[in-house]
Parts: sequence; structure tokens; C-alpha cells
Amino acid sequence: MLLQQIVNGITIGSLYSLVALGLTMVYGIMRVLDIANAGAYTLGAYLGVWAYTRTHSIIIALLAGVGGAAITGYLFQRAVYTPIKKVADPIVPLVASIGLFIVMEDLFRLIAGPYTITFPVHLPLNRLTLGSVIITGTQAVILLVSAFLFLLLWILLNKTKIGLAWQATAQDVETAMAMGINTRSVVAFAFILGYAFAALAGILVAIHYNAVFPTMGDIPSYKMLAIVVLGGLGNPLGAVVASMVVGLAEALVAGYIGSFLPTDAIAFLALIILLLVRPQGLFASGGDAR
Amino acid sequence: MNYWAVLATTVGIWVLLALSLNIITGEAGQPNIGHAAFFGIGAYTSAILNTKYGVDFWGALIVAIAVSALVGAVLGLISMRLRNDFLAITTIGLNFVTVAVFQTVHYFGGAMGIGGIQPPRIGGLAFGTLEIAGLIWVVVALVVILNRHLQKAWFGYALRAIRDDEAAAAAMGIDVRRYKVLAFVIGTGLAGLAGSIYAHFMTFISAGDFGFNISVTILAMVVLGGRGSIPGVMLGGIVLGMAPEVFRFISDYRLLVFGSILVLVMRFFPSGLLGQGSRLQELLTGFIRREGAGARVR
Amino acid sequence: MKTLKFGLLMISLLVIALLASACGNGAGNTQSGAAKTIKIGFFAPETGPEAADGTSAYNSAKLAVEQINAGGGINGAKLELVNYDDQLDTKQAVSIAQKLTTRDGVAAVVSGSYSGPTRAAAPIFQQAKIPMISAYAVHPAIPRTGNYIFQQSFSGVVEGAAAAEVAKNELHAKNVAILAIDNDFGHTLVQGFKQRAAQTGLKVQEPNWFHFGDTEFTPVLTKIKDNGADVLFMPAYAAEGSQIIRRIHDMGLKIQPLGTEGLDSTTQFLEVAGKNANGLVIVTNLNRDSKEQVVKDFIKAYKEKYGHEPDMVGASTYDAFYVLAEAMRKSGVTPDKIRDGIANTKNFQAVTGKIEGYDKIGQVIKPVQVQQVKDGAFRYFGEITDPAIITPPVN
Repeated sequence: MLLQQIVNGITIGSLYSLVALGLTMVYGIMRVLDIANAGAYTLGAYLGVWAYTRTHSIIIALLAGVGGAAITGYLFQRAVYTPIKKVADPIVPLVASIGLFIVMEDLFRLIAGPYTITFPVHLPLNRLTLGSVIITGTQAVILLVSAFLFLLLWILLNKTKIGLAWQATAQDVETAMAMGINTRSVVAFAFILGYAFAALAGILVAIHYNAVFPTMGDIPSYKMLAIVVLGGLGNPLGAVVASMVVGLAEALVAGYIGSFLPTDAIAFLALIILLLVRPQGLFASGGDAR
Repeated sequence: MNYWAVLATTVGIWVLLALSLNIITGEAGQPNIGHAAFFGIGAYTSAILNTKYGVDFWGALIVAIAVSALVGAVLGLISMRLRNDFLAITTIGLNFVTVAVFQTVHYFGGAMGIGGIQPPRIGGLAFGTLEIAGLIWVVVALVVILNRHLQKAWFGYALRAIRDDEAAAAAMGIDVRRYKVLAFVIGTGLAGLAGSIYAHFMTFISAGDFGFNISVTILAMVVLGGRGSIPGVMLGGIVLGMAPEVFRFISDYRLLVFGSILVLVMRFFPSGLLGQGSRLQELLTGFIRREGAGARVR
Repeated sequence: MKTLKFGLLMISLLVIALLASACGNGAGNTQSGAAKTIKIGFFAPETGPEAADGTSAYNSAKLAVEQINAGGGINGAKLELVNYDDQLDTKQAVSIAQKLTTRDGVAAVVSGSYSGPTRAAAPIFQQAKIPMISAYAVHPAIPRTGNYIFQQSFSGVVEGAAAAEVAKNELHAKNVAILAIDNDFGHTLVQGFKQRAAQTGLKVQEPNWFHFGDTEFTPVLTKIKDNGADVLFMPAYAAEGSQIIRRIHDMGLKIQPLGTEGLDSTTQFLEVAGKNANGLVIVTNLNRDSKEQVVKDFIKAYKEKYGHEPDMVGASTYDAFYVLAEAMRKSGVTPDKIRDGIANTKNFQAVTGKIEGYDKIGQVIKPVQVQQVKDGAFRYFGEITDPAIITPPVN
């Protein structure tokens, strides 16, 4: 059973990491705890299912969801976050992002209705049995797609000019500017990529659960904060590792101890304990303390 | 009449919560997005003392304040070790863990909540809705007086110095640790007080009453009204506290309006409606000065 | 500085006054009305986290009132629905209850909300002596508030006991695992299930609990699989229940799932679970294959008006209005008479089964329906009428 639970945990962790990556990309640059990123996750799912029911093409569904969310990210950044960011207190953009998230969720309900919409994509893989371990079709798809997306992000951040600029800016904004990096376009890049990633995660999760509903972003909206902090705010690799840790913890607790606490509380409990021992997080942040 | 008394009580509890968070977040500059945890700790302490051990409201109230303040002190000590954003997320975590404990531990009523909490009484008189409304607003008035007193005292200056620049404050010889913890103790103790009154007003509580969304609403009241400004925070508490009832006529769009208000105020009045340096506040100040001058001439 | 602070305080007071007057105007709309109308109060979580159930309840309330009025109303008088959205917030429910009792002048109230808001509002109606029917909230404390409060849905204990009976007699269970939601609904159902199972000698494992909003059930199902049960009793709601069913299928688990009324929704459950739901048995109050005209009419009218299948929440809310209408016709239209009328309900054919009546606490007595999913639809599987099971506990 242990091996099986490890597989289960890594699958859950993969899903978490896809959502967490978007958030940590934005944080790395802007130092904004962007709750509204979870709105992009839901937006991606809605746009995806809307496009899919009309075209029956998963590619178009992905493009619609990712494109719509990327545009939203860019608009939010230009209209809200960058102007607010001039105010020093980080609580201001946080409250604004909570407001944006509430507006988005209510718009989903008003436009698409309160009921769950299905996302009936048939996944091509069958159940795999390796000894005593079962890997279900959806698990296999999640693991493969996540691996592919991690690779994609790694290439983007390490092999492209804008990605390297993101890294440099996340490390130290002033030096990056002094080096001639156009921080404005890097900020826009972070939001576009961060929201696009959230949308991808939203679509994948919606297919996995065959469900799209207005409040599907509620739990990710705060749980991802815990994961992103665990991994060191603004550190993509850390976010992935932290997602896996939380996913494994949840699987093992559910499998061996039973549900002594709601699963969300487990992530936060882990976080609080960790921060007491290591106030800087599991890994150092992508950037400077302030 | 009863309807107004109930509304006044609800709004009063919100205002009290907003004032209490203001001491931590507005005056000492420490982010706290889990304030509902202390509201809940106060409510549960009071409810358990009342229903399980027969302690009356007044006794339970004192213990509720003490227990909340104690947990607040621990959080205050933790806040020393954490930088801003980490502290913000730790407080969210504290909120979730607290709610989870209320929800799962049988002693705290578990999933069924706690019912049958007695309303406050003095001698033979059991408090009705009107008396509870009176009680809460008397408490609010006392807290405002205390808070204004603190603001003017050394305590207030020390907190503002810490908020504006912690290192400089320490260099000036301010005992940062002591004042931060004190701000947490007072703020969370007052939240516990609000929780105790809430429990005895509702007579039935469950974990969901103290969730993360409540913390967000309290924070929104403080930030919207103006961090650090007592009239501002009260205004925030009154406006957002009444919003669910006032905006009933737009029924289906209430949440949309609430969210939009948050975004717009943060975008155009980032220090809150009546906060330091807000445009509205400058406008009002100018207006009042002119009015005041006119009055003196006459 | 003093004048500034004072001025600001005055302005805040002005704002309060303005808001208060706006508030007064909003409520004014509901105060007048035609001479011959009877006002029925209603509240449900129409926006916020449970907007889907709130919308179902509100839709059904509108439908019921419309139909009752179209059929001539109550001896010529029309019903008027006074609707409020509580956003699943107990504080709002208390304000709403005060408003309904002191300002709107309603004759009776239907709660289309969950246990929290319903329980918070109930004492206010009891004190004002205005009857309230809780359409689908299951908390046992609700009807125990007093003699003006009635519960239209089964006591959770009854539903749990009925499930245990189905597990033992229909599904021939030897060893039952439980996967239940950790709230009032889950706990009362598990309590009823375990009590009945103990009486009939059915082996039940320690319950596994999950929480509202959980999505990933593979880990706990892995554990259940290793403990070798043949029936899985799952008091869950549609969102979590559909995922449990999907994972059971994904993992190739050989276990017979046994659900409850929480899964009784076509849009929220059956469509999400898809073909994985086939074979699932649930205990509920809605028999979709019923030959009764009221059931057929309700399902048809709801589908025509709203474009999707009705669910258990909707059917229960709809019934609450018809129970009220019946009570008003037989007994009178003042709050006291309506209360007596509800208390004296006898063998009333409603959508959610034949209501035998309400016990002295105000809990409904009616048979439990057993349904099975076949080809993506709920179909008749059985009915439990044994008084030993369907009589709700009194203490």
C-alpha cells in the first residue's frame, strides 16, 4: 500500500504544482500574493469547456483557455497591480486581488450559471498494473502532462531571453534594471505566463474531475499560498518540490492516519511547523526579502 | 425594531472586529489575514464555558478575552521570526487550523456545532436583542476611547515607528518585541471579546462562522476604511457590515459589488477611504478647516 | 485636530443614516400588496458558495407558488413569495428572520437553506410564533427548536437506518466500509446506519471521514480496498460523491457503492459521474419512476421552466410549499392555524413520497425511496415503509 500511496501522492502533488507555478512566477517579480491567479484557473476551465463543446478539439480548448487567461493576466497587471505596486504596503495589492477573485467567481456564476458543467474528454490511457501498484488512466495522463509542462517551463526560464530576464529580475530588480533588462516587459511576461499556467492547470483539473463550476478556484486560491511559501516564494523549483511534499503528506495521512484534520489544514499545519523551524521556507526565495 | 437591533448588533460586532484588527495591522503594520481565528477562539471559549460548565456570560467573557489574547501573544512572538509575507500566510494557516480543530474535535461540538448558549443576563433580566445591541455599542465606545488613548500615548508612537521602519525604531531604542507582542495581545483579546458576545447573541455557533472569508471581510474593512484611522476603520466596518442588507435590492449582484468595491478602492484610494494621505481625507480635511474658520469668524 | 476627528465622525454618522434610509426603501417594496395575498417567507443560499443548491431551491419555490396561484390560490387568496438570499451566512439568516417576522408580515416561512442558517433562524420564528418548514436541512436540533418548526426532510438517523437495511437485505452486504462527509449530515447518517447495523448484526468498519470540498479520494479508497469491504456506504454530496464514484471505477475497485439523498441530482452528480454511476444505489426521498401525478407534473413543469432536471433539493422545497398550501386550505391562513394545519397533515401525497404526518417534535414521517442508477438515470429499486425504520427518534 505504501508504494500505491506514493503514486497517489505524486499525482496530487503534480496537480498542485501546476497551479502553484503560476502563482510563484507572479510573486517572483511583483512580490504580490495574487489570489486572483486562482480566478485564472477557473477562467481557463470555463473557456476551455466552452471551446471544447463547440469544436470537440482539445487543442482549441487549450488555446482558448490559455489565451483568454493570458490576456486577463496582462490586463490585471496593467490596470491594477502595477499602478498599486507603487504603494509600499503589500497588503494593498493582496486585498485588491481578493476583490478581483470575488468579482471573477461571481461573474462565472452569473454568466455560466451556478451548476456544474461537465468536461467530457475521453482520456486515451488505460489502467496500468505494476505488481501491487495501480496507475489509473487519469493518473498517467496527469503525470505525463505535468512532466511535459515542467520541462516546457524549464526551457522557457533557462533558454529564452525573456526567461533569463525573469530570473535576473526575480533575483534583484535594481541590478536587473541596471543591466539594461526591460523590467516592464518582464513583469508583463510573468503575469502572462503565470495566468496561462493557471489556466492550463484549470483545464487539466477540470478534465480530471469532469467538472467545471464557479467556485472551483476557492481551495486553490489559499492552499497554493501555503505551497508557494513552503517552496520559497518566487522559486519555481521549490514550488514543485513543495507541491509533492504536500501531495504525499495528504495521501499518507488519508491512507494511514485517517482524516484527523481537513486536508487543507494539513498543508497549512506543515507550513506553520516548517516556518517555525526554518523561517525562510523550505528553499530560499527567488529574490530578496523585500 | 427587533430587525434594527439585530442589524445594529451584527454591525457592532463587525466594527469591534475591525477596530481590533486595526491595532495589529493598521497601527503596528503586521499583516493578519486570519483574524477570524481569534474571533472563533473567543466564541468557542465562551460557548464551552457556558454550556459545559455553567459559567455565566460575564465570567465566560473574561476568560474568552484571556484565551484569545494568550494565543495572540504566541502569534506575536512568532511574528518576530517571520518577514511580512510569510507572516501573512502563517495567519491564514492559523485560521484554517483553528477552524479545522473546532470542526473535527468532539469536545468543541465537532461538525454539529454548539447550541443552547445562554444570552447574557444581569440579575433576573435576560438580554433581548435590544439589550445586546446596547451592550455591543457600549463596548465599541469603550474600545474607541481606549484606542484613542493608546494612540496618543507612547504606545501609539512606538507602534507607528515600528510600522514605518522597524530597524529605525529599534535603533531609536524602542523595544520592538515588546510593543509588537502587546499589539497582538490587545488586538486578539478584543477579537475574543467580539467572539464571546457573538456566541451569546447567536446562541448557536459552528466552525463555519469563523472561516477564512470572515478574516478577509475584517481585513477588507480595515484596509477599505483606512489603516490606522479609527473613524476610517469604523466607517469600513459599518459600510461593509451593512452591505449585505443594504444591497439586497440588487440581490443577484451583491458579491459582484462587494468585490468591485475592494478593487476600486484599492486602486484609487490605496490607503483607504479615510486613511493617511487619502484623497478623500484631504478633501474632507480642507472642507472642515474652511467650515471651522467660517464658524470662528461668525 | 479635534474638529477634524469630530467632523469625520459626523460624516460617518451621515453615511449610516443614508444607508439606513436606503435600507428602509428596499424593504418598503415588500410591505404593501394586494388585499388578498398571503405572504410566505423564503430564504436560500442563492449566491455564494452553495449557489447551485440555493438556485434549485429558489427555482422550485417560484414554481410552486406560481402553480398554486394558477390553480386558484388558497380559497381565492394568492400566495406571495418574499424571497431572501442568505449567502449561507448564519448572521444574514438571523437578520432575514427578523425582517420576515417583524417587517414583512409573513404568515409562514420555508427555509431552502442548509442547517447552519436554518438553525440560526429557527428560534426567531418560534418566538414570533410563525411556522417554518425546513425543506432539506437535516440537523436534528432544527425541529427541536419548538412547536412552530417542522422538518420536511428525513431525520438523518432515519435515512442512515434505511441505508443499513438496504445494505443488509438488498445488497446482501457482509462487511461495510463507510466514507462520510464530516458535517452534521454525514454524522447523523452514520449514526443511524451504525445503530441499525448493530441491531441486525451487520459488520461495519470504522468510518472514514472527508471534508467539504475534498476532491482527491484515491488515497482513502486505497485504504478501503485493503480492508476488504463489499459495500461502501457514502453519505456525501454531489461534488465529492461524483469524484468518489469516478475513482472507484478508475481503480477497478470491486465494491458496491451505496449513496444517499446527497447524490440525488442529475446535473450535479449523474452528469459528472457519467457511466461510472451505473449500478449505484441510493436512499432518497424522490422516486422518479413514481406513478403519482404530482411527481410526473413536477418533473415535467420544472424541466420546461428551467431547462434541466430537478433535484432532491428542489423537490423538497416544492413540497414544503404544497404542505403549507394544504395546511392553509384545511385549517386557515393565520400563522397559528397554519401551524396546526401542518401538525395535522395526514397521508399527504407529495413529490417526495407520501407524507404520513409530522411527529410531535415536527419531524416528517414518510417512506424512504431506494433508487438505482441505470443507463445514467435514477430508477425505482425499492421503498422502505417499515415503521421501525422510518419513525424518527424522539429524544
